[in-house]
Amino acid sequence: MSTYVIRRLLLMIPTLLGITLVVFTVMAASPGGISAQSLIEGQNLEPQAKKALEDYYNQLYGLDSPPAVQYLRWLNNVSPVGFTFDEERHISGFSFWKGSDLGTSFRYGRPVLDLLEERVPLTLLLNALSLPLIYTLAIAVGVRAATERGKVFDVSSSALMLGLWSIPTMLAGVLLIGFFASDQYWHWFPTAGLNTREALDMPFLPHWGSLQEVALLFGTGAVGTIMGIGLALKVPRLLRVGLLAGLGLSLGLWMGANLPGPHLGVTVLLSLLLIVAVGGLGYTDYTGLRVSLLGLLGAGLGLAVGTHWGGGEFVRGFLLDRLWHLVLPVLCLTYSGFAFLSKLTRTAVLENLMADYARTAQAKGLAEKVVLWKHVFRNSLLPLITVSATLLPGLLAGSVIVESIFSIEGMGKLAVEAVQTRDRELVLSITLISGLLTLVGYLIADLCYAIADPRVSYD
Amino acid sequence: MIRTLSPPRRGRSYAVQVAREVLTQWGARLGLAWIGLLVFLAVFAPFLANSHPLLLSQDGQLDSPLVRYLTPADVTLLALFFTGLLLALSRASLRTWLGGLGSVLLLAGTLSAAWVQPPALAIYEQYRQQEAAGEYDWVVYAPIPYSPKDYQRDRGETGLQPPLASPKKDHWFGTEENGADVLARMVHASRIALGIGFIATGIALALGILIGGLMGYFSGAVDIIGMRLVEIFEAVPTLFLLLTFVAFFERSLYLLMVIIGITSWSGYARYVRAEFLRLRQQDFVQAALACGLPLHSILFRHMLPNGIGPILVAASFGVASAILAEAVLSFLGLGLVDDPSWGQMLNQAVRSSTFNWWMAAFPGGAIFLTVFAYNLVGEALRDAIDPYLKKSLR
Repeated sequence: MSTYVIRRLLLMIPTLLGITLVVFTVMAASPGGISAQSLIEGQNLEPQAKKALEDYYNQLYGLDSPPAVQYLRWLNNVSPVGFTFDEERHISGFSFWKGSDLGTSFRYGRPVLDLLEERVPLTLLLNALSLPLIYTLAIAVGVRAATERGKVFDVSSSALMLGLWSIPTMLAGVLLIGFFASDQYWHWFPTAGLNTREALDMPFLPHWGSLQEVALLFGTGAVGTIMGIGLALKVPRLLRVGLLAGLGLSLGLWMGANLPGPHLGVTVLLSLLLIVAVGGLGYTDYTGLRVSLLGLLGAGLGLAVGTHWGGGEFVRGFLLDRLWHLVLPVLCLTYSGFAFLSKLTRTAVLENLMADYARTAQAKGLAEKVVLWKHVFRNSLLPLITVSATLLPGLLAGSVIVESIFSIEGMGKLAVEAVQTRDRELVLSITLISGLLTLVGYLIADLCYAIADPRVSYD
Repeated sequence: MIRTLSPPRRGRSYAVQVAREVLTQWGARLGLAWIGLLVFLAVFAPFLANSHPLLLSQDGQLDSPLVRYLTPADVTLLALFFTGLLLALSRASLRTWLGGLGSVLLLAGTLSAAWVQPPALAIYEQYRQQEAAGEYDWVVYAPIPYSPKDYQRDRGETGLQPPLASPKKDHWFGTEENGADVLARMVHASRIALGIGFIATGIALALGILIGGLMGYFSGAVDIIGMRLVEIFEAVPTLFLLLTFVAFFERSLYLLMVIIGITSWSGYARYVRAEFLRLRQQDFVQAALACGLPLHSILFRHMLPNGIGPILVAASFGVASAILAEAVLSFLGLGLVDDPSWGQMLNQAVRSSTFNWWMAAFPGGAIFLTVFAYNLVGEALRDAIDPYLKKSLR
């Protein structure tokens, strides 16, 4: 095992070299390329000052040497093992632990490492929140669809997932931000950033003026949840659907009334949509889904009523503010991965359900649930693990779009800015880091695969 | 949803069988219908949305400015479309299809480039002014009487305008930030979407099949080097590589197609490699080898047709992602500059301080429907080809 890991780690080196070489070649081969001249283009300077600045950049980044030398120089700077240079750019020695230096950004004039230290955590936060969401939702829907192959839930969820998967992230982002964040419509969420300026001075946790209000909030929330679950479990279907459709209608009317300016068409459309959607929640046969969704709906309504009545001094706090900013971006980042993974889960579970061992387990009289979760599901996890490796780079690419739409200062936005401003050091470093993350993701997935499947051995 | 498969009949090729299988599914039919509509819009775009009148009579003389302003690309596209239609009606084989289309492309391309020369400068106001002045006896416009780059500076209000808000109700999908008609731009943008999808995927397929085929056939050292190459292109997020390419080179439609093709071949190469590694061991390949057939014959005439099924499924999804890639680039402001593109229009929905819903709904809806259509077709194709699923459904 350890020899396998070491071999894989060593194989990463040529791949990483290749990645940076590809990107460097693209930059060097582009018309105009990267030279000191292109860096100071457009600045209105005296010829002499221009010349001085050019010389300065050449000195700093070595832009006057041929591309191959530039690449080797960069490589030498980045790798922890290599030559050291003196002031005059002459080789002064060879060191095994000189440390790696990602260079200085052209545009920001700051060390690339500093920039990355600021930006990477935000992107990781976004992705770390969406990954568990993707997996839990996908497994719930996928397993259910597989066990009910060919029935209503399977067919409708399959069509819905394919539809969700086809919605471009940018369309979802634009629509969400347009309707729920802009002040022309509901303005429930902030339009940009990860926290408001005031939130930086707030305490971490939210707090209220008095204990009564907290009690009230908890009380209404609990009552709402209980009512929702009760509605899902005890009330007959027809009545349930009727009640929920009425709730949807009133929600739609309320949202329409909350719009600035008259929007009759939007109100009608929204009411119809909500009647179908909320009423549909009551119609579904899937008890677990129904209970959890209606419970959530009840809790949300209860909390809304509670805050409306309480109304006292409520300080949002840093945590709640951050979460409030994260809702829309995480939603955007989650839905397509969820759709993709749930289709995959469905196929994997289906494949295993039809395998001989599952039929044997059923035939000897094991309970359906035991067969499904203890036998079939465990074996279906394998393809999910392999896919998680490809999900990671997808999430990184997705965060490029999401971060640009929601103006989040993460690595994705940095990447777009870097290529737009032709910031060579930054582009190369981001390529290196994201390549490294992807490769490590592949490695971890392979190792998990070996752990989950005893038949796999790497020797 | 148990489907019974019609038993394979003699004289019916595998491709026809798969096509029939695909067409039994509703999703695939809907997807193909949408793609067909797009093809129609793309081919006849100048006749559907144009500020130049289709036909007019001035002082008793007939004139057709629209035909005068046709570009070589329009003419070539029309020639290709009608050749394709003719070949389809005469039930030609795939080989004559490809040959016929290829030769028409070459012929019409060179001829129209030499002879068709639209005026370099298009002034759109003149028609509206002359019509208002009553200089025309009669005039027939295209169904959408606006060109994609007709910014209508002669009109009173320019710039953003919601659809059908004005009392005249003449912009069905509204206008964009420069005052051009959104519907006209969308019709013309369908060309870019279709072209990018097909040509970029074609390039990626060719590269993937070539590299993957060689890797799978030779294995050993070629395989190891090839796999590193595949890994390199997989480990850089494709979007990021695309961004770098586009940001550092000039922006042209053809370059965009090539770049999207170059950055997305690795998946196909993986498929083909795995397929060829499997096929290599089989008897018919060994027999072909023993006969002393040349390499290209073994690779492309004997091995490839046996492994092409799953690759076509992947290609169908690939077209969707190529279209999406172009839309993302345009959305991020790195696409074509002045030419209409759905992604670039979607970008305008939130670029100004207000939210312009029609700029999000219509172009965004078009992107969604196109991607959805290709995914539906891909899904149906996979169901038709995948032998495992067939077995399980019986």
